[in-house]
Amino acid sequence: MHLHLVDYAIIGIYFLFVVGIGFLLKKRIKTGNDFLMSSRNIPLWITSLAFISANLGAQEVLGMAANGAKYGLYTAHFYWMGAVLAMVFLGVFMMPFYYGSKARSVPEFLKLRFDEKTRTYNALTFAVMTIFSSGISLYALAMLMQTILGWDFNVSIWLAAGIVLIYTFLGGLTSAVYNEVLQFFLIVLGIAPLVYIGFHQVGGLDGILANVDNAKLHLWKGMSNSATNPMGTNAFSLIFGLGFVLAFGYWCTDFLVVQRAMISHNLNDARRTPIIAALPKIFMPLIVIVPGILLLALQKQFSGFELPLNTNGQTDYNMVLPLLLSKLYPSGILGVGITALIASFMSGMAGNVTAFNTVFTFDLYQTHIRKNASEKHYLNVGKATTVIGILLSILTAYVARGFNSIMDLLQLVFSFVNAPLFATFFLGMFWKKTSSNGAFWGLLSGTVAAGLTYSLTVAEGKGGSIAQLHTFYSGTSQAFNIAWISFVVCFIVTALISFVTKPKPEKELVGLVYSLTPRQRDKNRVWYKNPLWLAIIVLLITLFFNILFY
Amino acid sequence: MNKFFDLRFVIGIFFLAVGMLLLIYSFTNPTIEHAAVNRWCGLAFILFALIMIALSFQKKPKDEL
Repeated sequence: MHLHLVDYAIIGIYFLFVVGIGFLLKKRIKTGNDFLMSSRNIPLWITSLAFISANLGAQEVLGMAANGAKYGLYTAHFYWMGAVLAMVFLGVFMMPFYYGSKARSVPEFLKLRFDEKTRTYNALTFAVMTIFSSGISLYALAMLMQTILGWDFNVSIWLAAGIVLIYTFLGGLTSAVYNEVLQFFLIVLGIAPLVYIGFHQVGGLDGILANVDNAKLHLWKGMSNSATNPMGTNAFSLIFGLGFVLAFGYWCTDFLVVQRAMISHNLNDARRTPIIAALPKIFMPLIVIVPGILLLALQKQFSGFELPLNTNGQTDYNMVLPLLLSKLYPSGILGVGITALIASFMSGMAGNVTAFNTVFTFDLYQTHIRKNASEKHYLNVGKATTVIGILLSILTAYVARGFNSIMDLLQLVFSFVNAPLFATFFLGMFWKKTSSNGAFWGLLSGTVAAGLTYSLTVAEGKGGSIAQLHTFYSGTSQAFNIAWISFVVCFIVTALISFVTKPKPEKELVGLVYSLTPRQRDKNRVWYKNPLWLAIIVLLITLFFNILFY
Repeated sequence: MNKFFDLRFVIGIFFLAVGMLLLIYSFTNPTIEHAAVNRWCGLAFILFALIMIALSFQKKPKDEL
């Protein structure tokens, strides 16, 4: 792929704007709270778009286009089944506890509901996860730039890390959130023309229906058995593994996304943030999955649309979007498309770094190292943590370069940590007898169960390091099964230990447990200000699309 | 200068700059393949930018949405 001056100019304008946003916001950052929590003063439309943008990193944009070509329309389950329901649940049921408790982070909520050791365990695992994730974003960006543009790996890493450092160091969380919103529009407006051009080129809907395997154009067909659908999973694993455990585990407990709702003006905005974010999320498959399906149709009709092979000799589906950009975009709009990809990588990295510095400063430093320091002190700690986070990300990116399987490892770590965490939250919020010891040992057991399941099963050559007791049809199926097993183990262990240990007194659980918290009714509010009505609308639209593409 | 603290204004200015660039490029390089894509995208970006800038000049609503 060869870029022209105009393409570089567009990339340059983008860099100028993201750094400029950091410099502008610098004037407004006075305290640690400003830097790490945006003083809980961000408007609803920004928190909503930042909520989905925080998840719209490069792995998402490239990965979902890849899955679109690999699994077809079934990939939409990651949105309609694997995101929307959980986002609605977060807004309707969980946000009142997060926001109402005044906790500054998810680990701090665990401290209020359970105890210090549960908080510290979660803070440590989360900090490691975010650094890994940030480093992988950086590594993937550098690899992509090297592969499609011929840029030097080292230059790409240090340039991208330097820019992210400038704007997160200067403007903190607000700067990261503002850039996420800019990135959202850039991705949508930068990739939407590609869908239009591709759609036109394949001959519209008729061209897709005639040239794409019908098995890849459904959502639920063949889901009764893992061997009769392209995703290689069955309805139970999909609904329970993805739709319940993984989705709720990620969207309801991962601080990276929950933080975007926690910085809203007030509780009503915090509740509406994930629900309003679910609306664009429903339509996101149009931008990120449809290109993969279009490529399948283009391959049937034209030459030159073959995907390259990766180092293992397998088809490199991650190149779907770069291939389409290079084939369908002329220079000019190509610069916008490449900038959208760069933006998604950098935004993914910035989101992780800002979540890391908040958790480190509030949940590890302030709790275990220096308790009662001034706001200025925590601001400096937050800034220093930002620099350290970026440096660790760079280190992780170089480590990732030496290990082919590190991306798989990252996905696995997510299912190890997030899936059991949702069981802890679910019991903690809805069962007042859940004890602190039950929560802690349940979390540990869930993580160990996930590790054991992975070590005793194999899928696509991965896993089975202890024994190969079962072979899954696909890696996706293995991940869904690991998720629900770790969830169930955590759930059972937490419940059993809670039966024999003492829970916190009820008076300490008001505002943290559903049955002990007075209900807040949204009286005299018009429908669009009522989270419940918005949730019903979002669910009806999701149901409609599931029926339409059955 | 205060306008630059409004994200709608910043996004508007960004897409106005990119849209203008695409539009100018499409007219100065009409022979490249798919040149019309740049023209239409440039116009769409400028339209989007103007909407965002106009929104940023609205009085701050009492209650969002």
